[in-house]
Amino acid sequence: MSATTAGGRAGSIHSPLAEFWRRFRRKHIALVSGAVILLLVTASVAAPLIAPYGPAVPDYNNVLAGPSLAHLCGTDTFGRDILSRIIWGGRISLSVGFISVALGGLVGVVMGLVSGYFGGLIDSFSMRLCDVLLAFPGILLAIGVVAVLGPGIDNVIYAVAVFSVPVFARLVRGSTLALKQTLYVQAARSIGVSRFKLMFQHILPGALPAVIVYFSLRIGSSILVAASLSFIGLGAQPPSPEWGAMLADGRSYLGVADQMTLFPGLAIFITALAFNLLGDGLRDALDQKLR
Amino acid sequence: MSINPELRRRSVLTGATALAAAPAVIGARAEAAAMPRDLTVAVPDNLVTLDPADANDTLSQGSCRLMLEGLYGFDENMKIIPKLATGYKANAMATEFTFTLHQGVKFHDGTPFNAEAVKINLERIANPANHLKRQSLLSVLDHVEVVNEHTAKVVLKTPFGAFIPTVAHPALALSSPAAIKKYGKDLGRNPVGTGPFIFTSWTPDTLKVHASPHYWVKGLPHMRTVTIRSVPENGSRLAMLQTGEAQYIFPMPPELVATIAHNPKITLVNRQSIIIHGAAMNTMKKPFNDVRVRQALNYAVDKEAFIKIVYNGYADQMDSPEPPLLSFYKKQGAWPYDVAKAKKLLAEAGYPNGFETEMWGANNTLVIRGMQFLQQQFAAVGVKLKVSPLEVGLLISKVYAAPNPQEATVQMNYGGWSSSTGDADWGLRPLFTKEAFPPKMFNVAYLDDPAVNKDIADGLHTADPKARAAAYADAQKRIWQDCPWVWLDIDRIVDARASNLQGAYRLPDGGLLLNDAHFA
Amino acid sequence: MLGYFLRRLGGTIPVLLAVSLFAFGFVRLLPGDPARLIAGPDATLQDVQAVRERLGLDQPLWQQYVRYMASTVRLSLGTSARSGQPVLTEIGERFMPTFNLSVVAMVWSCIVGVGLGVLSGVKRGNWIDQGSMVVAVSGISFPSFWLGLLLIDLCSVRLGWLPTGGDHDWKSYVMPAFTLGLPAAAVMARFTRSAFVEVAQEDYVRTARSKGLPERVVIWRHAFRNALIPVLTLAGLQFGFLLGGAIVIETVFSWPGLGRLLVESVSYRDYPVIQAEILLFSTEFVLINLLIDLLYAVVNPEIRLR
Repeated sequence: MSATTAGGRAGSIHSPLAEFWRRFRRKHIALVSGAVILLLVTASVAAPLIAPYGPAVPDYNNVLAGPSLAHLCGTDTFGRDILSRIIWGGRISLSVGFISVALGGLVGVVMGLVSGYFGGLIDSFSMRLCDVLLAFPGILLAIGVVAVLGPGIDNVIYAVAVFSVPVFARLVRGSTLALKQTLYVQAARSIGVSRFKLMFQHILPGALPAVIVYFSLRIGSSILVAASLSFIGLGAQPPSPEWGAMLADGRSYLGVADQMTLFPGLAIFITALAFNLLGDGLRDALDQKLR
Repeated sequence: MSINPELRRRSVLTGATALAAAPAVIGARAEAAAMPRDLTVAVPDNLVTLDPADANDTLSQGSCRLMLEGLYGFDENMKIIPKLATGYKANAMATEFTFTLHQGVKFHDGTPFNAEAVKINLERIANPANHLKRQSLLSVLDHVEVVNEHTAKVVLKTPFGAFIPTVAHPALALSSPAAIKKYGKDLGRNPVGTGPFIFTSWTPDTLKVHASPHYWVKGLPHMRTVTIRSVPENGSRLAMLQTGEAQYIFPMPPELVATIAHNPKITLVNRQSIIIHGAAMNTMKKPFNDVRVRQALNYAVDKEAFIKIVYNGYADQMDSPEPPLLSFYKKQGAWPYDVAKAKKLLAEAGYPNGFETEMWGANNTLVIRGMQFLQQQFAAVGVKLKVSPLEVGLLISKVYAAPNPQEATVQMNYGGWSSSTGDADWGLRPLFTKEAFPPKMFNVAYLDDPAVNKDIADGLHTADPKARAAAYADAQKRIWQDCPWVWLDIDRIVDARASNLQGAYRLPDGGLLLNDAHFA
Repeated sequence: MLGYFLRRLGGTIPVLLAVSLFAFGFVRLLPGDPARLIAGPDATLQDVQAVRERLGLDQPLWQQYVRYMASTVRLSLGTSARSGQPVLTEIGERFMPTFNLSVVAMVWSCIVGVGLGVLSGVKRGNWIDQGSMVVAVSGISFPSFWLGLLLIDLCSVRLGWLPTGGDHDWKSYVMPAFTLGLPAAAVMARFTRSAFVEVAQEDYVRTARSKGLPERVVIWRHAFRNALIPVLTLAGLQFGFLLGGAIVIETVFSWPGLGRLLVESVSYRDYPVIQAEILLFSTEFVLINLLIDLLYAVVNPEIRLR
């Protein structure tokens, strides 16, 4: 629907990348969001340098303390500094959130394109597979993964990725069904453009906006899903400070030590919001007709 | 589940009389009392069954207690008291127990309670063909003799000194023989007993019962109806008490106690329990095959801090492998917090720089919190602990997978225990004797001390309280010194109730007791 | 289209048979011994064996499979290993509470989500757009246990307006349906907005607008129908997820639904119940997605279903 409508390109002398950057640069909110994400990533990478305390250092004489100058986000059950745990936890949560969705998105997009484009048996088969994947209780799948592969953060990423695949696949398939009937795709096919090119150069860009939106929405919920897996013994194990697990810890203390839920929750919220705003900017900048 | 032919024939006889007697129907009792008489209790889980002989969770058992009673039972402090029996005589060998029964008691469906009913019930549970979950409690049963209408003689295959505590176990509560016959394997959804309340309904998360007008104890029950509702979220359960939707909730999460401290309408219940927690160490494998290592880890843990951090202060320190409320408990002393001594012992055992090990445990918040605490404490003496909370199915498959001690892969296992009979035997034998190695029972520490094995066997093979006390005292002393576990804590029963509710209890084993509940 | 519908409907039967075989195999590959879990934490080996025999788990696998398939084909689905009740009863008791709650949550989240999405799509970049973005992102990254407990504290404990939980009357639906529908509404809003922005720039919309048709007509008649496809996809998926039962919401609001049943049956490895649940959820998704595929063709007649 977008990238190949040649008319809109008249007079364009920039390379597509430069063109994209020119437009993206004007989206100030998206730029700020990108900077926030960069900041979060840098902070987690530099955790040993900037975190005021170790992530697992207990202080039994200062447990469940509210925010103070010494502990900006307060302390948890064991008197550990919540801010330091959030900074360290970014390493796990950001990578789980991003990589798992990226993996799931990649597989799902290809599956959806192929399924929607070819239709028929391929479509029936892969979509019914998606139905079963969607229907399959996550808790069972997670127990299966931990039993076969053992615990570990890599396995969490795979498990969470599997959950994302069918949604991406169905989204892209839906758009592909509509896009392959459009004039320009029909025209491209009639002049003998290869299937591969048709799918990835002509149809995919039209399906991309929905993909970007789901991608950015999914990052926040993936962090939460990963946390629920750590309760089955699959995810990061104690004392590692994963945001979702910290949040779950705080659940027992709601009304007594709200800082235990508030700050990890805020970290997830800011991450999710930044990815969503960035996603909006990206999708607009990629969409050539929006000026 | 099939019913054995003999049992079936007998039930037909009693069943005929039962059908003649119309089931007691409760109409609205005209009595317009000013005091509310409807009680709602919010509990954490769903009930599994209302057939006590097939129930293995304290919640189902406690709920059964509303409607069914046994020959003996427990009072609120878990002291054994007679219920449907007025007394018993045992022979010296502890193989024959003769019970005299209360007269004039009827089941809710009108069937008379008598020696025949005792026989039908006990033999039903003991019969392996019925596949009841509590069959093993009565696997020592040979047969029951009906001496006369109100006297029943129970004959055992082997001496069993702990038989009266077993009879008091909620699983041995008696059902109406007519109901057993009528409902068969659906008895668990149609309980008919002699208790203070009559079954009304049971939906997935709510059990309702109403008062029995003909209860044999005069003046009881006080409540008109009792509702047991399952409310799994701690915060939601507490909210129900705050809004008045429930008048008793358990457990009250210790970390939330502060939120009700200043509410005059809510009272905290804080009682002793017999639920112990500890971390078992595999005494057959390195490094825990050295008693100095096991003792070192007991010195390495600050129990006071453990209780403060993990239980918000609501737990007691252990001072014997048995909790004080269990029969034949003998105080042993304490393993004080002493890092220097722990390090010295580790060095003597050949681990001056500590070692690495792994601990398994369930994946609930309390256990995870407890294991993390141990991880921090062990780190101070150089022991690097890997903490692995596991989903319950995975956990048991790991613990019980090994057919013999040699193949066991367990290093440390965080677990708990409560002796559901309130007796020393079930408090020690399943945890610390050779016959209890997994997969048979729960000696996850693989403790095999011949003296302990003998003590516990001796205690079981006599009904003489003095001989039993001596045997269990020696066992407790040896086990305590040998440290198969890192001894951690005795839980407390921490609940919350409406301030005007009296007489509602949870027993030290966690079971509900509401017979005497009333508003004041 | 009727032919397509019937073919797809017929096609679900082999799919479900395959799912049932898969479910049978998968639950048995999971570690965890149902007999020991059901026998309870202080059961002896003797008790465990008794339970194993009662459940027929001592029989060879092929016999278990034959028994399972026989009961599946007859749609009786066997009896629960844990409670001894027929699985059909067990699931039936929990299905209606979950279904009712899902429908209520879905209806409000579709109305609000799509409405908010259209508003922010039309007025791209203004405060409604930015505001609904923040609300949407909160909706999806705000943990539902947190929101649920805050709501209970406010509406039940402090104000006394609503019951804390259970499924009794319409009042008991308010908080769970709100909490359950919020992430769904958020997703719907984001997708409606995106699709809307996309379609609003299409040539025919511009043409319609240049012809001088009122903005409202342009939006509803032209843009909206074509924007619907990803929104429909997501709505179907969301509904499918809701019908599977929401574990957290059911826990916080003590709602006797399928989510809690699933957790219980998994923690006891109650094979017949787990198998039936997988089968039920798969059926739900297959049917919902069939419906969505048909709706694609209704919304955009150019899509040809083969």
